[in-house]
Amino acid sequence: MSSAVMSNALPIKVENLSKRFGEFEVLRALNLEVVDGAIHGLVGLNGAGKTTTLECLLGMQQFNAGDVRLLGYPPSQLHRSQGGVVSIFDSPSLHPQLTVRQALEHALLLCEKPVRTPAQVESLLGISQYSQFRVRTLSLGNRRRTSIAQALLGSPRLVILDEPFNGLDAGGVEDVMALIRQLNQEEGTAFLLSSHQLAYLEKICSHLSILHQGQIVVSDRVEQLFNQQSSQLQIHCDDVVRACSIVQGIPGVTIQDNSEQGVLTLELLQVDSAYINQQLVSKGIMVKQLLWKRASLNSLFHSITARENDEQVAS
Amino acid sequence: MKGFIAALKAEIYVTLRSQSARIILLLPTLIILVRAIVVKLSESSQQARDALLGQAQIATEGSNAWGQLVDSFSVGLTFLTLSMLAYAAWSFANDADTGVIRHALIRRVSRPWYVVAKLVNIHLLALCTLALLSISIVIISALLWDFGPVVEDGYELISSAEIQEEVMLGLRLAILPLPAALAFGLLVSVLAQSATQAVTSALGLSLAFDVFKGVLGERAYYVYASFQPSLIDQSYLQDVSRLVRGYSDVMIDTQMLQLNEWVPIPQMALFVVIALLVVQRKSV
Repeated sequence: MSSAVMSNALPIKVENLSKRFGEFEVLRALNLEVVDGAIHGLVGLNGAGKTTTLECLLGMQQFNAGDVRLLGYPPSQLHRSQGGVVSIFDSPSLHPQLTVRQALEHALLLCEKPVRTPAQVESLLGISQYSQFRVRTLSLGNRRRTSIAQALLGSPRLVILDEPFNGLDAGGVEDVMALIRQLNQEEGTAFLLSSHQLAYLEKICSHLSILHQGQIVVSDRVEQLFNQQSSQLQIHCDDVVRACSIVQGIPGVTIQDNSEQGVLTLELLQVDSAYINQQLVSKGIMVKQLLWKRASLNSLFHSITARENDEQVAS
Repeated sequence: MKGFIAALKAEIYVTLRSQSARIILLLPTLIILVRAIVVKLSESSQQARDALLGQAQIATEGSNAWGQLVDSFSVGLTFLTLSMLAYAAWSFANDADTGVIRHALIRRVSRPWYVVAKLVNIHLLALCTLALLSISIVIISALLWDFGPVVEDGYELISSAEIQEEVMLGLRLAILPLPAALAFGLLVSVLAQSATQAVTSALGLSLAFDVFKGVLGERAYYVYASFQPSLIDQSYLQDVSRLVRGYSDVMIDTQMLQLNEWVPIPQMALFVVIALLVVQRKSV
């Protein structure tokens, strides 16, 4: 395959991936696409198959059926991507007897086209002071930083991170998220982040896929996913009774609560809050405050997985 | 090929900084140094006792350096083989345990080249250990004893040149199975589910063969491990040890010598091929 073909290929394209452990089918005809420049979150409950998916993508596990391509290469040929793909796993994969600097120098030997020095990545990840510490003496968080530092030695087109925020303190999480954004914006690096820490993914991801019972049940841009979900709008106004009668007729609007004095709570499905405001004001209601409560990734995730469970029970 | 070079460089980088590699490098040499000193002290005390009893003129048979040199090689190679076997078994399985193998496989190296790089690195370590062991044995033997022909009642039974020739043959035949042992260790490493399982399996199988090879009789000669110096040693080095001490009842089995020459390398190749096939489908 020519390098031109590879440079045009999607960072990740998975079709009908199936993986069984004995009789247990972990992945069932899974489909996934990660586009160039995306920060793609892969979320799922424990045991949903996130790590197995990543291991199949990276050629660490054999799969039973399906087609997997990373930058156009099948998993067994990833080494031909010339460092185009790097991954960081849940447990930092480092030689415990090496120092941080040695671990980075070791990674440098395996890096096809290094763009940063070990000292630079140490500084980027804030681990310069641990440079001469042996990896086995580091905290989990600092081992994870070292692992990420290894990935930053080169200039990969795709970075796959399994539970990237595990073991990091709040500052560490912010640093890693800032790094991901920086690499994504400055170098166009695509990311696939597998995590169950939905609050962090919500802050950083442009795309999201929900893995449930071995299948991707939803995959889209994050805004699209939220637009498909209902949101809450809290309206502080002078006449709740009249406001109720006005909004009742608007499609996609459900009154949730009007019991509190001067406060009306609505559930909106694909309705713009500005439109509600305009309707109320045009009919003489004095709107003092509009509080928009978008659905969280957490609620989105739970509503989708619950819906899938219900559908499965029904079928 | 570029992936292989990168993997080999990375392997050597880690080995040079590895405590276990240093232990493997020094352990056989330390053992033979301690052994030589203990033997010399024992000989000296024997000579002192003989002198006190008026029997100082009786020469002890161990006083010729050749016999001590061969014994030291026999002990040293036994420990070298066992420690390198354990290291080979630990190597790949440990990389899989710690996950470091994933970096190499994803970034730059194909699975077969990764295994080959490991095999070459293990052989380089074995070569360095063997070189240090050999130099140490020659120096300590020369310092503590005298090299010379085997002489009895004024007759030269075997000349130094003949002894040297036999020792070289014995060493060559004893070292020939080493690559097969290393390849066997690596194969076990690739097959095992963990580093602990790999090391215990490789050492266990090797020691079990040692115990049962006597029962197998001549059939044991179709296994490379029959020819390596071991705890229950049947290698040609044992015969050389007796030969250089002037024992005339040493019977050289030419068929065994031929099998010693021809069995280990094909078996090594077989182990490597199986390891390369297994590693292609192994979950890491």
